[in-house]
Amino acid sequence: MKHFSEDELIAYQLHESSDEAAIRAHLEECSLCADLSDSIAETLRVFSAETAPQPDLELNWQRLRGNLSVLDVERPRRLTWLRSGWMWPAVGFAAAVALLISGTVVHLHRETVPRPNFSINGHGPLTTQPADPAIADHLDAAERLLTEVNNASGPLDETTRNQAHDLLMKNAVFIHKARQGGDVAEAAVLENLGRVLTTVDTEPSTPHSTLRLRIEMNTSGLLLDIRILRQNDEQNNDGSKGATE
Amino acid sequence: MSNRRMDRTETEAIRKVLAGDRDAYRVLMERHFYAVTRVAFRITGDEADAEEVAQEAFLRAYNKLPSFRQDAAFSTWVMRIAMNTSLNLVERRKHDLSYRAPRIADDPAVDGETVRIADIKDGPEDALLTREAVSVREAAMAQLTPMERTAFTLRHMEDVSMSEIAVALNITVNSAKQAVFRAVGKLRRSLTPIAGGTR
Repeated sequence: MKHFSEDELIAYQLHESSDEAAIRAHLEECSLCADLSDSIAETLRVFSAETAPQPDLELNWQRLRGNLSVLDVERPRRLTWLRSGWMWPAVGFAAAVALLISGTVVHLHRETVPRPNFSINGHGPLTTQPADPAIADHLDAAERLLTEVNNASGPLDETTRNQAHDLLMKNAVFIHKARQGGDVAEAAVLENLGRVLTTVDTEPSTPHSTLRLRIEMNTSGLLLDIRILRQNDEQNNDGSKGATE
Repeated sequence: MSNRRMDRTETEAIRKVLAGDRDAYRVLMERHFYAVTRVAFRITGDEADAEEVAQEAFLRAYNKLPSFRQDAAFSTWVMRIAMNTSLNLVERRKHDLSYRAPRIADDPAVDGETVRIADIKDGPEDALLTREAVSVREAAMAQLTPMERTAFTLRHMEDVSMSEIAVALNITVNSAKQAVFRAVGKLRRSLTPIAGGTR
């Protein structure tokens, strides 16, 4: 008598077997396989679905909504015509002409014309005005702290939390300055930073809170925003230095 | 989880979100958040982790919505993200030794892991037996690899087809079957000493 393997009997119990009729007939004759099959059925019964917790949908929606940025897919739609192969030579030609014209214009007008910067995560211009040099140090320290938090695997230590507390105080001043200077985008990034710093500073340090912070930073691109903000700031400072030299 | 195409309400909600209406995303969340949380709970085995995973899955799905091809169901797509996120979390937890340590800062009165109060309808013996059964099940499940646990819970508890599990876990159907069969075999052998079972 050919016996069935454990895998074949598991497949039978899960209704995944292609040989169901043959196995059923065999189980009526073979007590050894029938015992094994019963044992599998009992295991599946023991591990049958337990009630899963029902989370608070409203609370979760509110938490999620705070992290949702407004999506804008108009740009890709407008660019679908670029997918047609015949357009590329024309685009290349137009780009070459545009480069030639812009090169001539730059050559003729050597003076620097300030242009808005739209490069930060689609949030719009950050700043093109020479910023307070002290903010570069602040952003540098914030970037280092957030990188550390982002890479931490366990609870945060006391030193990190103290640094967050100090940065939080300074951050409030820079937010105020950014608002006064009318730099809404910079103020928004700093407010976002302030939110994370507040969590680091006030929440009890558990692996959960650290993980939540990492998720917030990764998903909202806060670290990236700060890096771009700092680079823009450095460029502005370099630019202003170059202008004074 | 199903392969059915999305209905008009979901398609419309996605269109609105892509046009800049964040609140339209709530329609998708209301429809699928419980299912996603339930699957995440099956994989992670922890209520707080499951909510965190579901949050992250919905956020990732939102951010990737512009690249979402609507020839598949949103539910399948977000579920796949949630499964991967859950598996990553479980992997990270394995390396985080402090995770299962007692949580001093948490309020013990609301933390199910710290103190369990028996249902007043059950007698003390029933409560004890229930706790023991839970403990035996948890110990047996802990012996499974994350892949085995995920494949088993989805197939057996969520009634997800093998082909859908394979797609979600990015493995072949045969590998998905093998993972489920290995899981059932391991669980059965874990219970055998207690049940005085057969071979």
